[in-house]
Amino acid sequence: MATKILVAVKQVIALDEDFEIRADGKDVDADFFLRDLNEWDDFSLEEAVKIKEAGGEVEVVVVTVGPEEADESLRKCLAKGADRAVRIWDESMEGSDSQAIARVLAAAIKHEKPDLVFAGVQSSDHSFASTGIAVAGLLGWPHAAVVNQFDFSLGATQATIRRELEGGVLQMMNIDLPAVLSIQLGINTPRYASLRTIKQAAAKPIETLGLGDLSLNAAEVGEVGSASRVRRMYIPEKGRAQMIEGSLAEQAAKLAAIIKEFKGATV
Amino acid sequence: MSGILVIAEHRRGELRPVSLELIAAAESLKASSGGPVTVAIVGPSPDTFVAALKVTGVDEILTLAAGSGDFDPDTQAAAVSAAIAARSPSLVLIPHSVDAFGYAAVLAAQGGYGFATDVFKIESDSGAWVATRGGYGQKVNVELDFPGKAVVLLTVRAAVYKPAEGSSNPTVTALPVPNVSAHVRPGEYVEMSQADDVDMTAAEFIMSIGRGIGEEARVPQFRELADAMGATLGCSRPIADSGWLPKSRQVGQSGKTASACKLYIAMGISGAIQHLAGMKHVSTIVAVNADPGASIFSVAKYGIVGDIMEFGEELKTHF
Amino acid sequence: MIDSLSITRTLFEDFRPLAVTIFYAIGYGAIGIFLWGTWIQIRKYRYGTAYAVTGTLISRFKQMTGTMLTHRTLVRRDHAAGGAHALIFFGFALLFLGTSTITVEYDILKPLTGMRFWYGDFYLWFSLVLDVAGFMLGGGLVFMMWRRGWLKPPKLNYARPDRSPADPDYDRSGYRIEDWAFLWSLLIIAVTGFVLEGMRLVWLQGRPEVWDYRWWSPIGSAFAVAMRDLGLGAETAGTIRSGLWWFHGLIALAFIALIPFTKVKHIFTASASLMLRDPLAAQRLPRVPDSQESVGFSYITDLNWKQLLHLDACTKCGRCHEACPANATGAPLSPRDVILSLREFANKTLASGALPDQVELDIHGKSPGQVSMETLWSCRTCMACVEICPVAVEHIPIIVQMRRKLVEAGDMDPLLTKTLQTIAKTGNSFGESKRKRGSWTKALATPIKDARKEPVDYLWFVGDYASFDPRNQKVSQTFAGLLQEANVDFGLLYDSEQNAGNDVRRVGEEGLYDLLATANIEAMKNAQFKTIVTTDPHSFNTIRNEYGDFGGTFEIEHYTTLLRDLLTSGRLEVTRPLGYRVTFHDPCHLGRFNKGYDAPRDILKMIGCELIDMKRCRDNSFCCGAGGGRIWMPDPVGVEKPAQNRIREAAFIEGLEVYVVSCPKDLTMFEDATKTTGNEGRFVVRELIELVREAVASPVVLEAPVEQLA
Repeated sequence: MATKILVAVKQVIALDEDFEIRADGKDVDADFFLRDLNEWDDFSLEEAVKIKEAGGEVEVVVVTVGPEEADESLRKCLAKGADRAVRIWDESMEGSDSQAIARVLAAAIKHEKPDLVFAGVQSSDHSFASTGIAVAGLLGWPHAAVVNQFDFSLGATQATIRRELEGGVLQMMNIDLPAVLSIQLGINTPRYASLRTIKQAAAKPIETLGLGDLSLNAAEVGEVGSASRVRRMYIPEKGRAQMIEGSLAEQAAKLAAIIKEFKGATV
Repeated sequence: MSGILVIAEHRRGELRPVSLELIAAAESLKASSGGPVTVAIVGPSPDTFVAALKVTGVDEILTLAAGSGDFDPDTQAAAVSAAIAARSPSLVLIPHSVDAFGYAAVLAAQGGYGFATDVFKIESDSGAWVATRGGYGQKVNVELDFPGKAVVLLTVRAAVYKPAEGSSNPTVTALPVPNVSAHVRPGEYVEMSQADDVDMTAAEFIMSIGRGIGEEARVPQFRELADAMGATLGCSRPIADSGWLPKSRQVGQSGKTASACKLYIAMGISGAIQHLAGMKHVSTIVAVNADPGASIFSVAKYGIVGDIMEFGEELKTHF
Repeated sequence: MIDSLSITRTLFEDFRPLAVTIFYAIGYGAIGIFLWGTWIQIRKYRYGTAYAVTGTLISRFKQMTGTMLTHRTLVRRDHAAGGAHALIFFGFALLFLGTSTITVEYDILKPLTGMRFWYGDFYLWFSLVLDVAGFMLGGGLVFMMWRRGWLKPPKLNYARPDRSPADPDYDRSGYRIEDWAFLWSLLIIAVTGFVLEGMRLVWLQGRPEVWDYRWWSPIGSAFAVAMRDLGLGAETAGTIRSGLWWFHGLIALAFIALIPFTKVKHIFTASASLMLRDPLAAQRLPRVPDSQESVGFSYITDLNWKQLLHLDACTKCGRCHEACPANATGAPLSPRDVILSLREFANKTLASGALPDQVELDIHGKSPGQVSMETLWSCRTCMACVEICPVAVEHIPIIVQMRRKLVEAGDMDPLLTKTLQTIAKTGNSFGESKRKRGSWTKALATPIKDARKEPVDYLWFVGDYASFDPRNQKVSQTFAGLLQEANVDFGLLYDSEQNAGNDVRRVGEEGLYDLLATANIEAMKNAQFKTIVTTDPHSFNTIRNEYGDFGGTFEIEHYTTLLRDLLTSGRLEVTRPLGYRVTFHDPCHLGRFNKGYDAPRDILKMIGCELIDMKRCRDNSFCCGAGGGRIWMPDPVGVEKPAQNRIREAAFIEGLEVYVVSCPKDLTMFEDATKTTGNEGRFVVRELIELVREAVASPVVLEAPVEQLA
C-alpha cells in the first residue's frame, strides 16, 4: 500500500512598500498584499518529494486552507512534485487564526488518512509557529517541532528526527509514526520550479473541499472558531538609531573612532 | 479563574533564563489578574530548580515530577495540563521557545484556551487579557483579545522582560502528573558543526555580515576587515545556511547569542527578528545598511546608510 | 607541324587492360566507400529533430559561395592562416575541377559521342593552371605545417579548460594526429603529382609533342630537366612513373574514400553550415512551441539536424576559443570544446542504424563527450564565438538549450535560483516593489509623461538596472534631462514595465521569459507611441529581435542613435567640447548583437573627445562578464574577472581619461573593476550620456565633470 504524506502549506502575504492599514484598523489594506508560498513550506514539501523520489510507492498530497488565490501556490507545489493538491475553503473560514486552521486541517487529515504529516515550522507572515502542532493535538498524533533532519524508511513505525534548539544546539529524537512534524529551514535544498512546469501544473486538477465535505460547522472556523481575535493592527513606532551622516570617508572615520574608543576602554 | 501560571523551562540541567523573564512579566500583571503568580516546573527531579525560582513576585511553585529530564512534548503537555487544572489560572505564560513550539499549541487545541504566540506585550483591558505580537513579518503590531476564553495561554518572546530578581518565599507544592505514554523519545544533543573554534558567546567585539554582502566572493574582504579591527566575524542565518561561514558563527535565535558582546557592528543585516534575538541586548550596536528603512536601525545605537562594500573598504583604511 | 590533337596526355599509357580495370575497380570502390560514409553522416544528422530552413536555397547558396570565394570569414583576425587556407582551398578546388574535366571527356563525352576537347591549346593552358594550383596547394600546406609545428599559436592547443590533465579526454591528442595526417597526405599527393609529371616527361622525352611543350607544366618540367641532367634515363623514368602512378593514385583514392570519416569532410559540412547560417542565431533564441512537452536539450537527439551538422563543420581553428571571455579568464568553458564534445558524442552514439538506450544519449555530465553544468553556466552568451566562427557554427542556441534543461532540473547557483524567483515575484531582479520602478523620476524637476495615459513619440523602456541601481538611476535622470532639453516627447510605462527578459531567456528560464515578454508586450500595446528608446542594450536586443515571436513588433532604437540625431540636428548643442582622451567599450548586445558600432563613436567625436580604441573593439569587443545571467551568479574568488581583464587592457592606453560605456550593466561592472584593479584615480568610467551632458551643459547644471573626479 502506498505511503501517503500530507503536506500542509500556506499562501503567505508579504506587504508592499509604503503599505497602509485598512480603514477599520484591523488589518492591512489588501491592495498592498503580495502573495507567495510560505518559505518553510518549500522545505517541508521538498522533504516529502525527496522521500517519494527515493523509491517506493509514495503519494504526496498538499493541502491548504484558503481562498481561490491560493491555487497559485498549490500549482507551484504540483510543479515541484506533489501528486495532488487540495484546497479547502468556505467563506465562514475568513478570519481563522492558527487554531481554527488547525481544526480544518485535522478534519482534512481524517478525510485523507495520510501516514505522515509535514508542516512548516512557521509562516513568514504571522509566524504563530503552531498550526502543525495544534493539528497533532486535535488528532492525538505524535508530533515534534523544528525538525531539521528526518530519517525514515517506508513502512517503519518509528523515525529518527533531529530538532534544532536555541543557541546552536541540536537534539536527536525518536518518534512513533504516524506523526506530525514541523519542518525547519535548511533541512534540504528546495528545488526550483520553473515557470514552465508551474504552467504545466495548471493542467492538473486542484481538488476543492468545503465545510460539509469535512463535516465541520461554521462555528468551528473563522473568527468564532479562533483562539484569538484581532482588536487592532498598527504600524509600530520604531526606535531610531543615531544616524552618522556625512561623506563616506567621514562616516568611516566616525565609526573608526567609536571602535578605537571601545578598544581603548577594554584594553 | 484567576491568577497567572508561569511555566519555567530548563535544558540539560540548567534553568533557562527566559523563565525568570516570564516571572517578571507575571508579576507586573498580578494586580490585573486578581490572583497569585504560580510557577510550574516539570522534570524528573523538579526540586533542584526550586531555589532558583524563588524570586520576587512568585507566590507558589508547583513541582511536577515527570519525564526523563529531557523535554518530550507528551509528558510536558500532560504536566502543564495538570497544573492548569489544579490552579485554574486566567493566564498561562510559556516561553516562546523551541520546546514550547512542540506542545503549547497542543494544550490550546485540546483545552480550547485563548491562545497567541510570540507575544511581546500583555495588558489587561477591563479584566480581559490583551496581547500584542508582530504580524506580516514584524512589519505591524497586532493587538489580540480572547473573547469568551476563561483561560488564555500565551507564549512570550524572550529578552523582552527584564529577568525577575530578588527573593521571595513561595509555597512549594508537589503535584502529581498523570501517566502518559510518550511518543517521542529524546536522544543525545549535538553541537552544530564547529568548522572553526570561534566562541561567539565569549566575543566582546563582533562584526556580523548578512544578506547584504550579496555574494560569497566578498566574505574574505570582510574577514580581513574584522581581523584588522580585532573583531570576531559573525553572520546572520542566510550566510550560514548558504555555507559561506560556518554555523558556529551564526548569531541569532537558532545560532549563538552574543552574550559577552559590547560592540556589535551589523553589516548588511536587515534585522530579522531571529537575528535580533541574538544581539539586540548589546549596548553599542552599529548598523550599516543600504536600506534606510531596515529594521536593524530600530535596535542600533548608531546607523550608517550606504553601500557596505564601499564602506568596508573605507573603514579598513583606518586599521 | 604537330597535330594539335596529339598535344595531350594519353591516359593509362602503356597500361595493360587488366591494370586499367583494376584501377577502375579501386576507383569505384573508393567512391563507394565515400558514398557509404556520406550516408552514415546523413543518417546521423537525421537522428536530429526537425528544422525548417527559412528563405530560398538560391539566396543561401549565393551567400555561401560569396563567403567561400572571398574567404571573408577565414581571414578575420588571422590573415596568415586565412591566406594559407585560401591557397589550399583554391589549389585543391582547381585540381579537383581539373580531374573532373578529364573524367568528363574520357569517361563520358568520348565514349558516348566521340567528342574531345582536352588537347592542343586547351590542354596546355590546363597544364599550366593545374601546375600553379598544385604549387598553391603545396605552399599553403607547408605554411600550415610550419604554423602548427613551429609557430604553435595557443588557440591550436587543444588542452581543455573544462578537464584536468588526468582525464582521458584532456588534450584531444587524437585530433593532432589527424591534423598532421591530413596535411601530410595532401602534401604527398601534391608532391607525387609533380614528381609523376616530371617522370612522364623524362620517360617521353623523345616525343616532341610532349617534350617541346614541357614548360606549360613548369614545375614538372623543372623537375624533369633536373633529373635528366642528373643522368636519369627514359626507361628508368618510365619504370618509376609506373610505380609512382599507382602510389599517387591510390593515396588520392584513399583520401577520397576517407573524406566522410575525417576532418576532410569539412569541405562539405562547413559549406552546408555556411549555407544554413542563421544571422540572428544568438540574438533571437528559439521559442519553445506551446505544444512541446519538455523543454531544452537533454539528449543528443534533441539537437536539430542542422545543429548536428554544425558539430561536424567545426575545424577546431580556435577563433572562438580565443575570443571567449569565459575561457580567457580561466572558466571551464571553451566554445570549441562544447562543439567537439558533442560531435564526439554524436559520432559515438548515432553511428549505427539503431539508437542506443536513451540513457546513453544524455549529453549532460562529465563523461567524455558530455558537457558539464559548470561549463554551461560559465557562458556569458556574449556572442563572441558565434560571431567569429568562420564556418557559421552557432554555439549559443545549443548552450542555452542545454541550460534550459538545467533550469528545469534546478541545477544552478543558489543565487541565480533566488534571482529568478525574485523576478517571477516582483518583475525585477532587484526584488523591489513594482510600485517603485518609476521612483527615480521623483528627483526630476519636470515629471515624465505616463505613456499609458497619454500618447508620446518615444516610449522609453528603462530596464531594471537603469530603474533601480542607484548609480544608474543618476544616468537615467541625466538622460531624462537631455531629452527634456531637446524637447523630445517621451514617456514611461512606470510600474507596467517589467524586466525585459533578455538575460532571463539566456539563462534558460524560458517560461519566465515568456511571462515577462508577454506582460511587457501587452503594456506596450496599451500605450501610444511611435518608437521605443532604451539605454539598456540587453532590453534593446530582446525587444528588437525576440518580442516579434511573441506578438510584439515594435520600432526600437538604442539611445546612442537618438542622441546622435539630436546632436546632428542641433536640438542638443555642444557648448563645451570636452577634449578628453577616451576609449569606448562596445557592449555585446549593442555591438556584436545589433551592429551598433558607429553611433557612440560619432557622438564621442561630436562632443570633442579623442577616441583611442582598444585592440579588442567593435566586433571583437570583450564582454564585461555580466551577460547570460552571469551578473546573478557569483564569480570564483581570486580569479581575474572578465571586467578586470578588460580594464587592464584599457589601462595600456597612454593618458586615458575616460573609459566610456553605453550600457547600465557595464557601468556597474567596470566601475567595480576599476577599483579592484587599482586603476581608480588613473581614469574614470562614465556613461556616454554623462559625457554628452557635460558637453551640452550650461555651467549651472554641470554637476561633477570628469576632470574633478579623476
